[in-house]
Amino acid sequence: MGSQVASSPVQESHRPADGVIIRTEDLWKTYDMGEVAVHALCGVSFEIARGEYVAIMGPSGSGKSTLMNLIGCLDTPTSGRYWLNGRLVSELTDDELAHIRNKEIGFVFQTFNLLARATALHNVELPLIYNGTPAEERLERAKEALRVVELGDRMYHKPNELSGGQRQRVAVARALVNNPSIILADEPTGNLDSATGAEIMNLLDRLHQSGNTIVLVTHEFDIAAHAFRVIGIRDGKVDRDERMK
Amino acid sequence: MAVFSQAEATLHKVSARPRAHSSIWVTTREAFFIALETLRTHKLRTCLTLLGVVIATTTLIVVMSVINGMNLYIADHIANLGANVFILSQFQWAQGEEAWLKARRRNRPIRMDDYEFLKANLKGYKSLGATGGIWPRPSARYQGHTLDEVSLVGATASMVDIGQEQVEYGRFISESDERHSAPVCFIGQDLVTEFFPNVDPLGKEIYISGMPFRVIGVAKRIGTTFGQSQDTFVFLPLTTFKKNFLGRPGINVSVQAWNAQQMSVLEDEVRVLMRVRHHLPYKEDDDFGINASDTIMGLWQRLTGSIFAITIAVVAVFMVVGGIVIMNIMLASVTERTHEIGIRKSLGARRRDILTQFVMEAAVMAAVGGALGVLLAGLISMVVNHFFASSTPLSAILVGLILSTAVGLFFGIYPASQAAKLDPIEALRTEN
Ligand SMILES: Nc1ncnc2c1ncn2[C@@H]1O[C@H](COP(=O)(O)OP(=O)(O)OP(=O)(O)O)[C@@H](O)[C@H]1O
Ligand SMILES: [Mg+2]
Repeated sequence: MGSQVASSPVQESHRPADGVIIRTEDLWKTYDMGEVAVHALCGVSFEIARGEYVAIMGPSGSGKSTLMNLIGCLDTPTSGRYWLNGRLVSELTDDELAHIRNKEIGFVFQTFNLLARATALHNVELPLIYNGTPAEERLERAKEALRVVELGDRMYHKPNELSGGQRQRVAVARALVNNPSIILADEPTGNLDSATGAEIMNLLDRLHQSGNTIVLVTHEFDIAAHAFRVIGIRDGKVDRDERMK
Repeated sequence: MAVFSQAEATLHKVSARPRAHSSIWVTTREAFFIALETLRTHKLRTCLTLLGVVIATTTLIVVMSVINGMNLYIADHIANLGANVFILSQFQWAQGEEAWLKARRRNRPIRMDDYEFLKANLKGYKSLGATGGIWPRPSARYQGHTLDEVSLVGATASMVDIGQEQVEYGRFISESDERHSAPVCFIGQDLVTEFFPNVDPLGKEIYISGMPFRVIGVAKRIGTTFGQSQDTFVFLPLTTFKKNFLGRPGINVSVQAWNAQQMSVLEDEVRVLMRVRHHLPYKEDDDFGINASDTIMGLWQRLTGSIFAITIAVVAVFMVVGGIVIMNIMLASVTERTHEIGIRKSLGARRRDILTQFVMEAAVMAAVGGALGVLLAGLISMVVNHFFASSTPLSAILVGLILSTAVGLFFGIYPASQAAKLDPIEALRTEN
């Protein structure tokens, strides 16, 4: 495992070059738990270029989810800087962040996070609703996204009428319906058996082939093997960053 | 794989289309549907929550209906009295509830023979007439045109001197019409406007409850009282009226005096005559009513004023209580749905989208309460109508609906702002 840490001089804090979609610079995330301060991230810096397929690996509690939430603009770092598509995220307003979550990022969660009372179709429509897509176009695109994940025949099922793998496919459809810059997946196969997990990975592979940037978190080596680059995290720090294939 | 690529290509093609940036309309509509859906899933809880708003709306509308109905009734029966006129009728108008309930049990309707009796025995009056009416008011029809809520009155020929209706052209009901129960009518200006804008109404036949009546005369315009037009009337000969409309058996006898002093003398005389006729012992109360217009009008106006004041207080209290209950349930709902809020925020919902969603939910909920209140008030009005003149004005319904929705909006703002403020990741981490 010839470790070749990506060059990202911590001191430098210029706008990232074109083609770099994600750039983090000395990200810290500290949870103040009264007596003790938990450092979930301790200075994470890396760059991801457009079209990359990256797996983030590391032991439990190492800060992977924390990092993903920062990248996905769901959370804000205690310190450090983060550029997404050339924009410095810490300078954005609440509404701009919402817009980024809506347009730039497709998030796939380990626990699916679907609206339980809504149909698969409506779940996929949600991101389109929040950017004001008119109903007709919205429906057309949500259906198309469901067909992409091969759920064209399950559109009107509620999440509890779907298998785990199907639910995660709905979540993937929802993540890609707005045609985002990056798809982030935090242990997308964590709640699935290996065969169903493979299905989801197959789907992500295909999304990558059609040009999407994908960052995924996993524990498992055979899942990570789908990616073209692996970033290792340990105790809130990047401990390896290697390109494979 | 081929299928996939094709689908993927379509997806990109579609999303490349330009479109309006985040229209508030789309999210508002979504919020509306979410609201309906939530109310549908929590029917019982919603109903309990809405009790305050329902009661407030119902109270408001019922009171407004009764006052409106009474206004109509009074405008019909009292405001139209001429000078120095009093009326002998089954009930004393505008009396206390207890007296009214008692009167309902023992008073006897005034009949034609009472009228004949007074005509024979009362001395010195200027004129004496009798009228009959029906409630609810019927519709009048002429060649495909319909006029609803026409005040249909059966009257003796002598009413021409007593009532405030004056002949504009044609003639009033005659004694000959009365003797022959002629199917003729004397109409108000509203009927002329509606049915005969360019034609001479005299000799034309209008239909009431399917029966034709020939127009023999038209009254001068009277105007409005309590906002009610006083020109929507049709007079028939009392005999014709009694033959065709067996609504209530009773009639009213109108007595006109020469002057104010004589009026009180005549009132006493009528009272004595009627007591004798009904064999009432010395100690017992009258079992009929003697009503004059000015006293009753004054009393009614004072009464309406205090009824309104009390109603406003009651409605305000219930609305505030209802609003607080809604606020409480909305706060619970926000807590319960924190995870959902997290999901929506993670997908790009802005603060104002979440705010709209919850405010809308509170408003729709309260509006449903308002609508239930309207329905309930409708039912109550129908029942009340049997005892009392009640007529629901459209404005009461609108005020009820708008007020309850406004209460929902107002009390929904705080819980909704709590929801909108939630941090996306904290909300997502919350398990429900
Ligand atoms: N909301 C929080 N409050 C306090 N500490 C937190 C919070 N979220 C995470 N942590 C801490 O931060 C550290 C990193 O957590 P994180 O969820 O990022 O780990 P992870 O790498 O995703 O682990 P896993 O593989 O088990 O999902 C952990 O020590 C955790 O206890
Ligand atoms: Mg994790």
